[in-house]
Amino acid sequence: MDAARLAKRGISIASILVVWFVVSAVGPETLPGPIAVATTFAEYVVDPVYWSAVGLSTARVLGTFVLAVLIGVPLGLLIGWNVVFGDFTYPALELIRPIPPIAWIPFGILVLPTLAFSLGFANFEVQTTVVFITFLGAFFPILLNGIEGVRGIDDEYSRAAHSLGAADWQTFRHVIYPGALPSVHTGMVVGMGLAWVNLVAAEMISGGGLGFMTWSAYTGGSYPVIFVGMITIGVLGYLSSTIVRYVGASQLPWMESAAA
Amino acid sequence: MSTRERVLGVDRRRLLGREVPLPPRGVRWAISVIGFLVFWWAAVQFGFLNFGLFVSPIATLTALVGYLAGEPVAGGTQSIYVHAAYSTYRVVAGVGLAALTAIPLGLVIGISAKAGAGIDWDSYLYPGLESLRPIPPVAWVPASILLFPIVPVLGFSVNTAVLFVVFIGAFFPILVNTVEGVRNLDDEFRRAAQSLGASNRQVFRHVIFPAALPSILTGLSLGIGLGWITVVAAEIIAGNYGLGYITYQAYRLLATDVIAVGMVVIGTLGYASSAFVARLADYATPWSDIETTG
Amino acid sequence: MSERKQTTDDRNENSQRTTGEYDGLRNGRSGHETGTEGRREREGGDGRARATGDALVEINELRKIYDPDGAHVTAVEDLDLDIGDNEFVTVLGPSGCGKSTLMECIAGYLEPTEGEVLVNGDPVAGPDPSRGVVFQSNRLFPWKTIGQNARFGPQMRNAVDDDRIQQLLDDTGLTGFEDSYPHELSGGMQQRAELVRLLANDPDIMLMDEPFSGLDAMTKELMQEMLLDIWEEEDRTVLFITHDVAEAIFLADRVVVMTARPGQIKDVIDVDIGRPRDSSVLTSEAFNEYQERASDLIHDEAERAMEQKQQETQEA
Repeated sequence: MDAARLAKRGISIASILVVWFVVSAVGPETLPGPIAVATTFAEYVVDPVYWSAVGLSTARVLGTFVLAVLIGVPLGLLIGWNVVFGDFTYPALELIRPIPPIAWIPFGILVLPTLAFSLGFANFEVQTTVVFITFLGAFFPILLNGIEGVRGIDDEYSRAAHSLGAADWQTFRHVIYPGALPSVHTGMVVGMGLAWVNLVAAEMISGGGLGFMTWSAYTGGSYPVIFVGMITIGVLGYLSSTIVRYVGASQLPWMESAAA
Repeated sequence: MSTRERVLGVDRRRLLGREVPLPPRGVRWAISVIGFLVFWWAAVQFGFLNFGLFVSPIATLTALVGYLAGEPVAGGTQSIYVHAAYSTYRVVAGVGLAALTAIPLGLVIGISAKAGAGIDWDSYLYPGLESLRPIPPVAWVPASILLFPIVPVLGFSVNTAVLFVVFIGAFFPILVNTVEGVRNLDDEFRRAAQSLGASNRQVFRHVIFPAALPSILTGLSLGIGLGWITVVAAEIIAGNYGLGYITYQAYRLLATDVIAVGMVVIGTLGYASSAFVARLADYATPWSDIETTG
Repeated sequence: MSERKQTTDDRNENSQRTTGEYDGLRNGRSGHETGTEGRREREGGDGRARATGDALVEINELRKIYDPDGAHVTAVEDLDLDIGDNEFVTVLGPSGCGKSTLMECIAGYLEPTEGEVLVNGDPVAGPDPSRGVVFQSNRLFPWKTIGQNARFGPQMRNAVDDDRIQQLLDDTGLTGFEDSYPHELSGGMQQRAELVRLLANDPDIMLMDEPFSGLDAMTKELMQEMLLDIWEEEDRTVLFITHDVAEAIFLADRVVVMTARPGQIKDVIDVDIGRPRDSSVLTSEAFNEYQERASDLIHDEAERAMEQKQQETQEA
């Protein structure tokens, strides 16, 4: 990228800050400006309370994302691959899918327990409601893209494999799985984004982590912290999506776009 | 001649290694749905986790019929229709506003990125907007309550904070897809139109816009989906009316039937709006084979 | 006609310009100079296309009906065909005439609606590595390298013979591209790699569905010559489907001409041109006669196929 273009992009990002500054200067008194937020941010960065919120939210997203991948990918591939299996499972899932994960929150708080367990060195408490809501956010994009990925593979690849002597499981291993991976990867990127969206909502309502920190900043009147929370969530969300993107691209060297 | 699916089905069944007599597809689908309902019923009946506190499918159906007949919900005076109307209006208005701003913006950014001449809107606008994109729409809720008041308009209370959050939720998918739609257009179509005598305005009208339309509609479809996600979240947290608001009120009052009914209604409306956008897309771009359903 | 002749001449020139590049392929060719005599076939009095000697593939009264959404399309009807061991048969027909359906029935992808397909006397019961398939659009696995693709068949049986695969890659000029992914190669190289993948499996029968139709004229001719070299070197039976008249004659011992849908055998042409053949055959008197005869046969059918297609589009 040439210098002029880089400068223009810099101007673009800086102008967001300028607009924010001007609005906070002339606008409502409740809106903190960039400088107030930066000061608060500096205080928070050295505060362990902030880092424990960051740690909790990150661990929740990471854990549920892995869970969603472990369940969503095999399920999606099987539903896509085997028409009969799909007929028995997919309609029930399709019944749940249109309900936004966040709408499950009241149900979750009511029905799902908080698990407390000890690993010797420390005691843990898992709020299964938050995990469940976050899971739903990540699960469906991964599942759907798994199914679509398999259905998008031209059947001639499976035919070719069979004609070359591959058994069913070998076709699954060498054709269906690798062929569906690009789509699965897309699903993971989307799923990671939705995991954060739903995590924040669940945390605001049922407690803990960055979502709760942001919400309680509002109820407690410490308004700059709201923006500290938003920025932190944004950065973490961006980082996790980028990691998923890069890891995926490195696993798909055969894609034309990855090579370019 | 589309024989592929049928052949697939037959192949797969034989590939299972055994020829089992299978019920027809419709029956298999029904078994799947009924299985889900039985599972739900059993969880409530036998108190799996805290399911004992929840309602069974049959009680949900009964409650649904009652509320659809106009019973007031969750200790309030309004019927479920009023709350559904509030949520729907918020999604439509929020997504509508997002479309009205994101589509023109996306077109300007996309075209300037391709043209390589004129004002470089792509560089001036996109990075700034992109820097806001990773913040999940729900994270805007506290800030928007802070900044956007509830405004009474003609006897209705307009919760501008909720509207803003829905707007943010729908804005970015529409923007990104519009930009991508323009960027992915093969330059030779533009050249072909110019060679056939089209002016810049005509190239936009007859080539760029229609070519980007399927992608724009995909964005709109995603935007509506995120609109429903965010409206529920915003209403739970900041609402005074709406389906999200009543499901959370119901939780406080332990009116579990309303929670279940609320979820069913939200799911149905979300599904219906996706179907509507898909239909709209089919109608607007009959030449496209891109699936906008999702 | 004159246009077709022009094309033929062009090809000849092109091949002279470019064969040098593939000289490696042509060295060490042993071939069977008069081998075609032994498997020359005749047409039976009942119109049945018969091969003398042992029939490797026997197709009896084959009928295939597609019935998606009650459309009820008869793709192939009353088709009888025998293919002899080590015979090179091309099937020539207009697009949509059921050529591919015929091939898919032999490959074992489709079950005949009526009739039977026997290979070595046994009914076909599904795909099998002894019946290798080359598809119209390149079906190298895009997620595997050329080397992995070439090894695929033997790997499925844990019987990889590295020397043979190396030999095949050498013969086809693909040495050095083992670690490339298919999309990094040209169309011709992809097609050669797919051929290597098939040969690594050492199939008795090669079923080829318009494998060269996506290639440019020059590459196509080189591929045809290479295929003949491979076929003459290792005894193999080939069923080759095409809509290219010159290609059908150039390659075949026997050209089976099919009608428009429902696909039936219209005629069988014995191609009595000596082997080994190279591009010089294309300008010979005999070749032109065969070509004229085949073109006459196929012309009406192509017209009918086009009308059918138009009618279907209008109905849809």
